[in-house]
Amino acid sequence: MDLAVYDLKLQKGRFIATIIGVGLLFTIVLAMNGLYRGNIHDGLAVINATKPDLWVVERFRGGPFNEQSSMPEYYHYSLKAVPGVERASPYIIYAVERMIGNESRHFSIVGYDVFGGLGGPQKIYAGRGLHQAHYEMVAHAKLGVRLGDKVPLGLHTYKVVGLTKEAVDNNGDPVVYLSLPDAQEILYQKDNEEVRAQRERLSRTLNAQKSLSSAAAANLAETLAPDTHIINAILVRLQPGADRTAVANHIRQWLYFSVYTTPDEIQLMLKGKLSGMTKQLLLFRTLLMIISVVIIALVIYTFTMEKIRSIAVMKLIGAPNLVIVRLVLEQSLLLTLSSFLFALVSINLTYPYFPKTLLLVPEDEVVTFIVVLLGGLLASVLGLWQAIKAEPAMALGGK
Amino acid sequence: MAVLEFEGLSKIFGSGRLEVRALQDISLSVEAGDLVALMGPSGSGKTTLLLCVSLILEPTRGTIVFDGVPIYQNGWTGGVDIRRLRREKMGFIFQAHNLIPFLTARQNVLFPLDLVGVRGPEAQARVTELLDAMEISERADCLPALLSGGEQQRVAIARALANRPKLILADEPTASLDTERGKRVMGMLKKIAQENQTAVITVTHDARMVEGFGYVYHLKDGRMDQNH
Repeated sequence: MDLAVYDLKLQKGRFIATIIGVGLLFTIVLAMNGLYRGNIHDGLAVINATKPDLWVVERFRGGPFNEQSSMPEYYHYSLKAVPGVERASPYIIYAVERMIGNESRHFSIVGYDVFGGLGGPQKIYAGRGLHQAHYEMVAHAKLGVRLGDKVPLGLHTYKVVGLTKEAVDNNGDPVVYLSLPDAQEILYQKDNEEVRAQRERLSRTLNAQKSLSSAAAANLAETLAPDTHIINAILVRLQPGADRTAVANHIRQWLYFSVYTTPDEIQLMLKGKLSGMTKQLLLFRTLLMIISVVIIALVIYTFTMEKIRSIAVMKLIGAPNLVIVRLVLEQSLLLTLSSFLFALVSINLTYPYFPKTLLLVPEDEVVTFIVVLLGGLLASVLGLWQAIKAEPAMALGGK
Repeated sequence: MAVLEFEGLSKIFGSGRLEVRALQDISLSVEAGDLVALMGPSGSGKTTLLLCVSLILEPTRGTIVFDGVPIYQNGWTGGVDIRRLRREKMGFIFQAHNLIPFLTARQNVLFPLDLVGVRGPEAQARVTELLDAMEISERADCLPALLSGGEQQRVAIARALANRPKLILADEPTASLDTERGKRVMGMLKKIAQENQTAVITVTHDARMVEGFGYVYHLKDGRMDQNH
């Protein structure tokens, strides 16, 4: 005779309300799991989508993702000359906020050498890659643009020629691929008034130099205009069979750069930019799990205490402890499992609507299920203890 | 053979100045089919005696022999599964009916059968037989909350009889019923004792309810006077 089920049938409404409440808590736990994975996924998405053999950045910098790195574009020619290097491509990435359609959107721009260079989009699910030196873009679907759309960025308008789903920046915002010169132009483009003011400042400084004639100062002003050929990193592909460590050491020692492999770059992100958020989410997950177990414990305790007289009657008429334990434990497990099932369904139905990426991994769900199951068993201890120590004499109104 | 015998049974709560002698040197022998009433005012020790006889409360001294098996001899004798003995050989009827609220009348009667492993058609037949005997069959699928006090008590009696016990212990079974319904319940207990040869011990404070009982014992300050 399944006493737990009979009891829950009588308290259907309350049981369902409890399942929804606890289930929503579990939903948040699963969302936190997804957010945790999503945070790592987004943080590493561009690195994983690019995957060169080596990332070369400014000396003593952990760039280009975990830390800012800037270097002149022409350095990639030096790298091409390093023994074992097959290709070295300039690479730039930065975040912007611009109007896309009628909406202000936050996204990142990646600029790369579109003519065979590294760092471009790997998987294009609609359209094509960049084939021209200017005015074309490949965008992540999350940007909300369609193939053929013309998107104004800075002084020019860029046509969407391809759509990708693979790369988002470490905030989870979409990545837009442009040719390197276009990306540099958008990054360094200044307001006309600022350009004039900068020129005047430079002229004044040069004219103040007594050693320079005014003609020489004017000539110098032209050549001293700020350099916009700046990049964040150089991506290197090695020749087949080349020794990665030897090439990296050569670049470090002779060209004075910092060099990272893709796994190094991933570790830089995991231990750097992503670690704070990752720890925070882990803490939230743990706290929520504890709260869920405490709530289940209280619910089961209340359910048990309400039945304590019936339990005393059962004991008096000779029910073994096993029957009582089964009643409490089964209710606890039914509550826990139903709530988890509710959470599983609700998170799988809602995860695409979360503003941040939620990456649901079956392994996480299994681990959460095991923790929830153990938590549910643990939660019933308090109720079980009360049930076991209930005196049969209570049924006779004695003791 | 006596179903239940107890001799020199005493129960003392507390010690020193706080000592309360709830039962003092009580002896009794109950045969199969005996109808025994325990009467007395509040605090006379009726419920304490019932708890001791139910093997829930350990006496301070004395002996209890149930169905020929010594259960208590100035201490539990051991080797006897008391809960098993209660579920197989005793039936209980309470003042507040104490039906399990989430089980229907039928399931309440089925429960003690389930505990002793009687299931399926055999159990269902026994439940139907008992509910018919108690004239409550038409309310078999109702939850206790939907039954009147008299109906609940009849279901409680059916539950107490489910495993064909040798002894029925009833604690104020008529206290929550009006006189007519109370007499009907007592009539049922008499019938059970006569027809099934089941010993019945009932605690009551209402003298009108014990008409026709073979043994009526009065308890006062933990001591018992016999009157039958």
